[in-house]
Order: sequence, then structure tokens, then C-alpha cells
Amino acid sequence: MSSSQPHAAEVHAHPEMGFVRKYIFSTDHKIIGIQFLFSTLIFLVIGGTLAMLVRAQLGWPHAELPIIGNWFLDSNGGRMTETFYNMLFSMHASVMIFFVIIPMLVGAFGNFTIPLMIGAKDMAFPKLNMLSYWFMWPAFTLILISFFVEGGAPAAGWTSYPTLASAGMPAGEGLQSPAAPNSGHGQIFWLLSLLFVGISSMMGSINYITTIINLRAPGMTLYRMPMTTWAMFITAILQAFALPVLTVALLLQSLDKLIGTTFFLPPRGLEFGNWHTGPGGGQPLLWQHLFWFYSHPAVYIMILPAMGMVSDIISTFARRPLFGYKAMILSIAGIAGLGFIVWGHHMFQSGMDPRLGTGFMIATIMIALPSAVKVFNWLGTIWLGNIQYTTAMLFALAFVSLFIIGGLSGIFMAATPVDIYIHDTYFIVAHLHYVLFASSLMGIFAGIYYWYPKMFGRMMNETLGKIHFFFTFIAGNCVFFPMHILGTAGLRRRIPDITNTVFEAPLIPLNQFISISAFILGIVQIVFIINFFYSLFKGPVAGRNPWHSNTLEWTTTSPAPHGNFETTPVVYRWPYEYGYFDANEDSKPQTKKGEPGDTSQGHH
Amino acid sequence: MLACLALFVIAPSHGWWLPPGMSTHSEDVDFLFYIILYITGFFFILTEAILIVFMFKYAGHPGPAKAAPSTGPNIFQKMFPFLRDQHHVEMAWTVVPAAILLYIAFAQVPAWLRIKDRSKTPTFGGKQVPIQLEVSARQFEWRVRYPSSERLEKWMKNEGKEDFKSFGVFHNGQPKYKQMDDVPAVNEIHLWKGQTILVHLNTLDVIHSFNIPFMRVKQDALPGKTIPVWFTPTHANTRFDDKKQRWVDGINMETGKEDRKFYRWEIACAELCGWGHHRMIGRIYVHETQSDFFKWLKQTEIENLSHGKASK
Repeated sequence: MSSSQPHAAEVHAHPEMGFVRKYIFSTDHKIIGIQFLFSTLIFLVIGGTLAMLVRAQLGWPHAELPIIGNWFLDSNGGRMTETFYNMLFSMHASVMIFFVIIPMLVGAFGNFTIPLMIGAKDMAFPKLNMLSYWFMWPAFTLILISFFVEGGAPAAGWTSYPTLASAGMPAGEGLQSPAAPNSGHGQIFWLLSLLFVGISSMMGSINYITTIINLRAPGMTLYRMPMTTWAMFITAILQAFALPVLTVALLLQSLDKLIGTTFFLPPRGLEFGNWHTGPGGGQPLLWQHLFWFYSHPAVYIMILPAMGMVSDIISTFARRPLFGYKAMILSIAGIAGLGFIVWGHHMFQSGMDPRLGTGFMIATIMIALPSAVKVFNWLGTIWLGNIQYTTAMLFALAFVSLFIIGGLSGIFMAATPVDIYIHDTYFIVAHLHYVLFASSLMGIFAGIYYWYPKMFGRMMNETLGKIHFFFTFIAGNCVFFPMHILGTAGLRRRIPDITNTVFEAPLIPLNQFISISAFILGIVQIVFIINFFYSLFKGPVAGRNPWHSNTLEWTTTSPAPHGNFETTPVVYRWPYEYGYFDANEDSKPQTKKGEPGDTSQGHH
Repeated sequence: MLACLALFVIAPSHGWWLPPGMSTHSEDVDFLFYIILYITGFFFILTEAILIVFMFKYAGHPGPAKAAPSTGPNIFQKMFPFLRDQHHVEMAWTVVPAAILLYIAFAQVPAWLRIKDRSKTPTFGGKQVPIQLEVSARQFEWRVRYPSSERLEKWMKNEGKEDFKSFGVFHNGQPKYKQMDDVPAVNEIHLWKGQTILVHLNTLDVIHSFNIPFMRVKQDALPGKTIPVWFTPTHANTRFDDKKQRWVDGINMETGKEDRKFYRWEIACAELCGWGHHRMIGRIYVHETQSDFFKWLKQTEIENLSHGKASK
């Protein structure tokens, strides 16, 4: 399939394939990755818009909502209803987690980078790969339809705890929920949508594992793989083991809602006013165990790939070998392994036996250790470096500095007695956004700026990139750092109006500051969108290796042809040989053969 | 980063900080909070400072470096000869945080078990007899059930152990015995200073969370389960207002002045429970003395009888 034509465009336009096979039902991992990227960027805009609405309500709880207030909140005088607010944050979280961060990191970057970085022609199962993207479409459709069904989109939080989410009418009496109007039809669409996301991710992770194990280029031993690939590999394993549990949980809740089973209904039933559900045979805590057994590893699914990408980017632009390569791999594996036995820390106050909490607490605290090792190693990497401040590097360094905050604040809630106080407060909100927004999304931006030339053959505009970076970094911190203070003062999460209690009401000024910062943060992303699309057509043409990077994807053309490489690359060394070699050379690509006296090859 | 630190200095002066602790749990919780704050604060400043210094010190120019960086022993290696190569550095920065983390992990176990371990539930015949009551959460209120004043007075004298079971013994998540003279109340819990209270927490519909920030208490109410929660208030906030002819809270009883900001103790539901979640708010009334409390309880009993709403 591959030819040795020098011009990227010509190589790309393989004559045998029409537009549909090439760009829509494509089996090429690069196109699939880019499809994931575009889809998730659209959902990033949707999720971001929901967040803006949440912030509008939180800062000014009694004000009329501008523009959309008259539009569809007319019955409430243009003000947001409580149900509407609950729907907003539930869908913000669901969209951001299941339709942005996970498919962006794993779907987009995993697909795009894995075969290129290990020197493979494509994924092990290209058709399965195509299916994994197209199984996202029912999910996209269902989650969007849920906004328009009777009762509206789900409003029970992205965690969908029973019995608020699961309580239903007896079989045959309609799908409304006695617990909340949004827990009826909307919830069912949510459950089905997530089932499709799960199937899609499962196909992807099987593919990644197989590809990495079987299709590495000659000489690409496991310990010569770049960190990105290592992180994707471990993430795929995490996903493959954790996802079935979520799928089961989703199915059980669907059955509860659709055919009146009682997996999450306690024996004595529930009373809603004067109406009684009748006895059940289940246990609401079961959902929490099943859900968090997936969703805690999912937290690492959402950060490990970003860690891998950031490691590569930092090493490339610091022009230094990655410090402690094996320690970095071990710490990723350590985080992933421990990640399976810490799910109970979401349930310290849930009524789970407190003695069990102690075990989960110790495991949770220890997860800070591999995280700390990673931070020290990143610092060690830039030490003595020759740092090139590209936009990608700035976002990668922002990842490190903000991950420190997100990691350290995690220790507070891992400590069970402190968690009694800060559980379900804004402290948790601050922590999770420092990890998911400030870390994962910064990693994603770093990745986009870094691999954009390889994806589209053109460079992004660095000036616009830096404007985007500085405003995102500053506004992002203005949004999420004060939330620690809010949480310390006891502000509960998931409430539309903070003026109801004496201890929360004084926090309004801080909340307004956060909201204004959030609007700035939202608006600045327009710079990114402009840069992204402008550069797509007008950006300067990138050569094969604009960053002088060592990994294999930079040895081929930008964008890479169908089949990726003109000739199968042969790997002679690990990917981090940066530094001063002589006056003209500060990097040695993985494909470079060792010369006499070159002791570094195969060092790792 | 400096702004972040500044915020930590400014915030407490605006009252944006931990509310003062008003129960025996607050000492445990606040102590650990500050320990962790200092440890993490130290590492936050350390790592961010290193990052920023390195970012400036090793900022490069475009293109390959002109010369190799000097890699002779640096200041750290001179100070700690142990850190002679990468492997030893890795060892050092793994072992040191590990020790600190293990300390944090084990330092908190006793406090956690004191607050939550069910084998430590205060019971009849123990050192201090708890007053017991049942809190049933529902969308969107806290329903409270007290024993009658007659029975409660007997318990306080360590008598009437059999009656105690109507609150202490549960069957299928429901109290095994409900008595005709139980006293119902909505959204208010009364007790007195220094008296341990044992709440049997359950819920009628969805998950709620029994959250009293000032008491450092938080416990989810789980459908189908009854979960014991206990705490001992160390301050009082309630007195009888002769003008209004009712008990009012929000009073700093040490000064006798009204101080709603720190002396109104709300039970604010902390687990999303539907559209009215944010206004599912009850209050804790801590009386100065036992006799004040019984005055309130007897008065409530009479009111309930005259309104014909004796417990169902």
C-alpha cells in the first residue's frame, strides 16, 4: 500500500479509495483518530456551554438568565429552575467524561499515535477500529436526544446514584420516575448511550493491547517504547478490565427501569409521599460499588495517557532524556494497579462499613506515591535542559504544575476523618477539576499542539497558541483554585442556590469571581478554535519533523501516508536521546544506527 | 502561584474558612486537616518553586545547545553524597514521600474509628448514656422522632432498658417497636450541651446525607438501611425568647449575644436528592442544660397532643 512518493498530498490520496471509504468509513487509524478528535471537540464545546450556564446560575442565583432565559425558562420568569440546574451539571459531567476526555485521550490520541509510534502500518484490527468509532454515534445520538425527551435529560448527577436515578414505576405503568422528573426517559437514554460508549471503548482497548504486543517494528522492544505508548498500553488494560463492570451496572439499572427488576431497590421499598413502590430485593449500595469499580479506574484512564504524552513532550522540548524512564513506567503501572483497589474512597460516607474504609484509605493515600515520583521525574527531566518554549511545551509544563495541586489536594479527601467534612463539598469539585480540567485537558491541548503537524501537515500558529495558553492557564486557576476555599468553608456541591444556609451565603462574592473567570476561560477557547481551523488551511507546511523529535512518527511524512511508513522502520535506540552531541546535533532519532563509540544505544 | 498563596492568607479573614468546630469530633478532623495542609503546602511550594526556577534557569534558545551542560556534582550531590546517580535519586524521592504518606495514613485511623466505627456506638449502660432519636430523611425534609419525655428521663437515670429498644433495635431497617407516645418533629433536632446524641439515620425514598458542618458530621442515609451517627456538642446555641415565646437558636451562649453566622448550626443535605436538594435544611438546637431540653420536649409533646398529631 505504501509508496515512496515524496509529496504528502499525493501519497495521501490513494487512488483506489473514494471519499467515503477514505474519510468517513475509514479503516485508517489516523483518520479514525482524527474523527474521534473532531467529534470530541464538538462535545467539548457542548460540555463547556453547559458549564457556563452552571456558573451563571451559581454566581447570580436569583437573576434572570440572559438570552436563553426567555427562550425556554419562560414559565419560571426567565430564571433557572432547580431541575434545570441539576440537569445542567449532570450532563456537563457526563458529556465531559464520557464524550470528551476519555474518547479524546484514548480514542483520538490512542488511535493516532500508537501505530505511528511503534512503527506499525495500522492497528491490528482496522475494521474493529472503524466499528469502535461508529459505535460512538448511537451514543452521541442518544445522549443528545435525552435533552428533548419527556422530563428532560438526566439530573441525578453523572454518578446516577440509585434510588434517585433508578426508582421507576411498576412494570407496565410508564417510564416516569417517582423520584425526579428527569429520572424517567432521560435516564434511560443516558444508560443506553453509555452502554454504546462502553462497547466502543472495549473494542478500542482490545485493539490497542493487541497492536502494541504484536505489531511493534523490528528493534522496538517494550523498553524502547515512548511513554505515550506505554501509557496507552496500560490504560487499555485498565479499560479492558474495568469496563465490563460498568456495563453490568448500566444493564442492571436499565432492567430496573425498563422491566421492573429490583437490583437497587431495598427490601422495604421506598415511599414517595403517600405512594409506595412495593418491596424490592436489592441494595442501592450495589450500584455505588459497581459504578466506582469502573469509574475510579476511569479517573486514571482520563489522566494516564495525558501523563504519557506530557512526558514525551517535555523531554522533546527540554532537549533532555526523560529522567527515570523505568521509574515512570513503573509508576504508571503502580497507579493503574492501585487504581483497582481504591474505589471505596468515593464511598467513605455512603454507609459502607467504616472498617472497610480504612483499607481503602491506606491504598488511596499510597497512590500519591507513584504520582509524586512522576512529578519529581518531570522536574528531573527539565533540569539542565535547553527548554524550547513552544505552546505544546507550555501546556505540558502547565500540566505538571497543576497536577501537583490536583494530586496534593487528593490527600485531603483520602484522609477519612477530613473527608467527613469535605466530602460532597466544593473541595472535591476543585480537586477533580484540577485533575480533569487543569491536568487532562492541558495534556490534551499539549498533545494537539504537538501532533497537529503530523495530523494535518501544517503548523499551528504559535502566537495565537501562546495567547490561548496564557489566558487558559490564568483563568483556569482563577476558576478552580478558589473552589478549595469554598469547600473548606463547607459549601456543598450540586446546589443551584447557595443563599439558603447561613454558612454558605457569605461565599457569594467568591462565587461571582469564579463565574466571571469561567466566562473568560470559555471565551478564550475561541482563539483555539480559530487557530485550529485557520491553520488547517493556511498554516505553514510542516516538514517531517518540525520539533526535531526522536520518535518514529516523525520519520514519515506529515501527514503520514496510508500505511504510515515508506519502508518499515528499524529501531536502534530508546526514544529520549536528546542533549548535546555536537554543535549541530542535539537528538538521535530512534531509527539512527549506532556509530562506533556510541554507548547510548540500547541503554534502556 | 503567589496569588494562590495569597488567597490562603486572605480567605480566613473574610470568614471563608473552616467554620468553628462545635462538637467533640471537630478536634480530630481539624487537627488532621491542618497537618495535611502543612505537609501538602510544603511540597506544593517546594515543587512549584523548583519548576519555576528550572523554567527560568534552563530556558533555551532556538536550535541545538551550543555546548554540553556541565554535569559535575551539583549542590545536592555535594550535600547528600548518597545521591550519586539516577537510581539513588529515584530511591530517595520514593522512600521519603512513602514514609510521610504512611505516617498520614496511619495517623488518622484512630480518629476515623472514634467517629464512625459501629462497635464504638455509645449505648445504654456505657460511660455516658446517649439520648437516642430516629431521623428519617425524605424529599426534602428531615423527620425526627424522639422518645417521650417520660421514657427519656428514665433512661438518663439508667432505667427502662427495655424501652430503649424502641430506638436501639431495628428490624428490616424499620424500628422494631414504635410507641404511641413518641414525639415527632420536623427539621429540628434538640439536645443539650455535653450530651452525646445517637441518631438512627434512615431514609424513606432516595439517598440523602446527614451533614452538619459545624459538628463535623456527615453520613449518607441509605434506602433500606439504618445507620448510627453520634456526636457530642461542646457549645450551646439556644435559649427561650420570652418575647417570641419560643426557643431560638443562633445565640452564642457564652456571651449571650446573637451570632447567627457561627451559632446557627444547619443540617444541610449533602447528597443530591432531587430538585429540592439545596433547601433540605434542618437545624440543631443545643440547649444549655438538660432541664431546658426537657422543657422543650414536654412543651412539644403537649403541642402535638393538642394538634392531634401524636406519632403515627
